[in-house]
Amino acid sequence: MGKVIDINYFELFIGYALLLIPVFVFWYYKTGLVKDTLFASFRMTIQLLLVGVYLEYIFKLDSIWVNIAWVLVMALIGAYTIIQRSGLRYKMFIVPILLSGLISIAVSDAYFLGFVVKLDNIFNARYFIPVTGMLLGNTIKNVVISLNAYYKRIDDQQTMYRWYLANGASREEALLPFMRHALRIAFNPLIATTAIMGLISLPGMMTGQILGGSNPNVAVKYQIMLLITIFSSAILNVVLAIYFSNKISFDGYSNLKKDIFRPKKELALSRDKLTISR
Amino acid sequence: MVKINNLSIEFKSEVIFKKFSLEIRKGEKIAISGKSGRGKSTLLNLLAGFIPDFSGEVFIDNIRLEPGNIGEIRGLIAWLPQDTSLNFDTVSDLFYAPFGFAKNKKDIPGKDEISEIFKAFELDESLMSKGIKEISGGQKQRIILASCMLLKKPLVLLDEPTSALDENIKEKVTDYILDKKDITVLAATHDAYWVDNSDKEIKL
Repeated sequence: MGKVIDINYFELFIGYALLLIPVFVFWYYKTGLVKDTLFASFRMTIQLLLVGVYLEYIFKLDSIWVNIAWVLVMALIGAYTIIQRSGLRYKMFIVPILLSGLISIAVSDAYFLGFVVKLDNIFNARYFIPVTGMLLGNTIKNVVISLNAYYKRIDDQQTMYRWYLANGASREEALLPFMRHALRIAFNPLIATTAIMGLISLPGMMTGQILGGSNPNVAVKYQIMLLITIFSSAILNVVLAIYFSNKISFDGYSNLKKDIFRPKKELALSRDKLTISR
Repeated sequence: MVKINNLSIEFKSEVIFKKFSLEIRKGEKIAISGKSGRGKSTLLNLLAGFIPDFSGEVFIDNIRLEPGNIGEIRGLIAWLPQDTSLNFDTVSDLFYAPFGFAKNKKDIPGKDEISEIFKAFELDESLMSKGIKEISGGQKQRIILASCMLLKKPLVLLDEPTSALDENIKEKVTDYILDKKDITVLAATHDAYWVDNSDKEIKL
């Protein structure tokens, strides 16, 4: 296997010039996204450089507790990001979303690292941290899309939801079409990209492994396992996120609580808000 | 069948109901009239459990309206919404949807029952296989009404049940529903024919 060619900082800087394309397009069409793009790229750079430094130490240290703590922090940031992106209230949703993330990670990690790769210690930093990171990173998108689709749809199609309830549906029965909708919206794209994998795109992890000097055969097998693990982990995460958050999102009469959304929407939503007369 | 004592509901500091009381006997046909915004829909929504914040007491078939009883109460009612933009692919999906719930499975209507109510509502049975976007608003309203009636619930809550119907069909539908002896019907309506043929009118 050939030696990996390192990229020096000057070359990294030249690489950044590619950002001029999105910046120009966003600026030309007055999308207001230029600042966000630059900020996001800056954040990404700092975060990844820091992670590079941290990981070097963490890999050397390879302590179970440090590794678990690291993953917990990742899960917490993941949960926070999910809630932020879905426009829901932090205080109400942090517990259900974090819980669903942790359970789905635990199940997928235990299965993949324990039964498939058969590690003696599934908390081995070199496997546990990057694999969990990939799982979290890839499932966040699906959880955001599904939560968004689910709660927005229940709110938008209130009459439909009420029609079900008022004609004898249990809450679970009345929520079924919304669950179906959320799963379809969140997973149709993933199914589509899974089906064309390798034809028009080489997945990032596999590319990384090959560049890093791995045998393509090994890289492919890892990639297949990871795609499958990501898929089932994402489904598990979405279903649990909705299941746990159902417990806090409805009042005693199974009506969707109006205050689950963050205030930006408060005006539009207050139309139905009724208060007790005194 | 329905008993309301001292009901008060306030909507963004606007009083909709204040110390409102009402008693409806089994089998009575009640028309709720009044200008829009006076709380006709609110009263129906309240009975279906969609207005969690109210003060006063509400009983349906002697069951108090409160979170712990809402499942039981919703098992006793059928509700026709004012807004009939329900999201389904085909007419048959829409018609049969309520019969898919565990509580209603035993009441899945037979062919004869469907034929009878479709005839009464002047609906052609071939509509069943059509897409929901292919039928008119009036047809859709009658389909939902038919489904609602075939659930055979003791209390039927109808929000503007004839709003999308032509004059002659309106009277047929009204007669069919108001002639049903054993059910209690509470309808929010602007329609004079419906009001005239009801047992009682409540003006809000």
